[in-house]
Amino acid sequence: MRGVRNSGTETPVSSFDGSTVGAPAGDPIVRLFESMRPDLLRFAHWLARDRAIAEDIVQEALLRAWRSRDALKDQAAARAWLLTIVRREHARLYERKRLELVALDDGIELEGMPSPPGPDSEIDSLRGAILKLPLEYREPLIMQVLGGFSTAEIAEELSLSSTAVLTRLFRARNKLRTMYGLTPAPDAPDSEGVL
Amino acid sequence: MNHNEARLLIGGDPHTVPPELAEHLAGCPECAQFQREMTLLDDNIRRALEQAPLSMAPPATTPATVTPIANAPGTQRRKRARSWSGWALAAGVAAISMIAVWTLRPSDSLAHDVVAHIQYESNSWSSNEQVPAANVKETLAKAGVAIDMDSDKVMYAHSCLFRGHVVPHLVVSTPQGRVTVMVLPHENVKHRMSFHEDGMSGVITPAPHGSLAVIMQGNENVDAVAQQVQQSVRWLPSQT
Repeated sequence: MRGVRNSGTETPVSSFDGSTVGAPAGDPIVRLFESMRPDLLRFAHWLARDRAIAEDIVQEALLRAWRSRDALKDQAAARAWLLTIVRREHARLYERKRLELVALDDGIELEGMPSPPGPDSEIDSLRGAILKLPLEYREPLIMQVLGGFSTAEIAEELSLSSTAVLTRLFRARNKLRTMYGLTPAPDAPDSEGVL
Repeated sequence: MNHNEARLLIGGDPHTVPPELAEHLAGCPECAQFQREMTLLDDNIRRALEQAPLSMAPPATTPATVTPIANAPGTQRRKRARSWSGWALAAGVAAISMIAVWTLRPSDSLAHDVVAHIQYESNSWSSNEQVPAANVKETLAKAGVAIDMDSDKVMYAHSCLFRGHVVPHLVVSTPQGRVTVMVLPHENVKHRMSFHEDGMSGVITPAPHGSLAVIMQGNENVDAVAQQVQQSVRWLPSQT
């Protein structure tokens, strides 16, 4: 299924080829997945920093979710469950294409981005600065702010201690804080212990 | 709790204040100021993340929703080594901050965020498959509303994250053309507001709970269709 991109959102789940995986378009679980696709795509897009890659990630994640749909016991938890699958799919891709993604890091020119002088460009500058954050800081920040995960949930997902997650989140925000010309807080003590 | 511990908690999650942190903040103006700044920053981070990453962003034509952190009471800007025009820069920052305060009314910001959201899901306009009535009902029910209209007119129905809340995002086929409807229970507006932005025309109207946004492509007058949509929306009993 790789290489197939979801060009339209009108049939987001069926576009992962329901005929192949046996997902009827009217299936409630398909409808549930479909309703969350925009969120998943946005989440993946911030992780991968590339729309096409994000679409591939979501495509693959939806396939995995469909295959593992029996594991979803509570549909109220579907969003967090799907976001977790998307994150893991991104992590797999990141591991596979680490060199390429590092190259992409280098390609993003923060220096060329507008400085933050005015309100018109402030959000754009912030978006640029978030993209420039190293993945170790960007990932928990996206999980917390966009995904709604708690510190404990992020810690479990990333196999870190809660303190380590707080440290990464603190450093992420502290880096963004300097963009505004605010005095950065003293750095947090290193507590990157892996569970 | 010492300063470093307090700032780690604040930086880790500015919107969560456990009792021990609250106690520290009550007696520490510096950390309290840090918490205010980080909370405002976090609001902007959330708004930034709810839009597409920069590479996908349409060119900004209107001010974005920005909380001017620099205006937070007591904020101390970092000293920078500038060999020229230090005063001019300071004056510029002050002027821009004033402009931000006086021109970025919440309603304008809301319209901008709505347009940015629709642009990100631009495929929603071109959907040609009718959304089953059950899907529409389910999507709307999450926001505590129902819409009395032919279900075969709904071409797109998603639950979307918008300003930190999951809201219904519909595209409805009308005689006047495709219309995007977003139910925004958490966004209160005082007055009906029309806007034209990035090739879209829309209105945001007050609703019993929050507001309704109705948007069309082009420079169409959406007042009539917005009125129809508004009349067709029913707030479910749990919301009233």
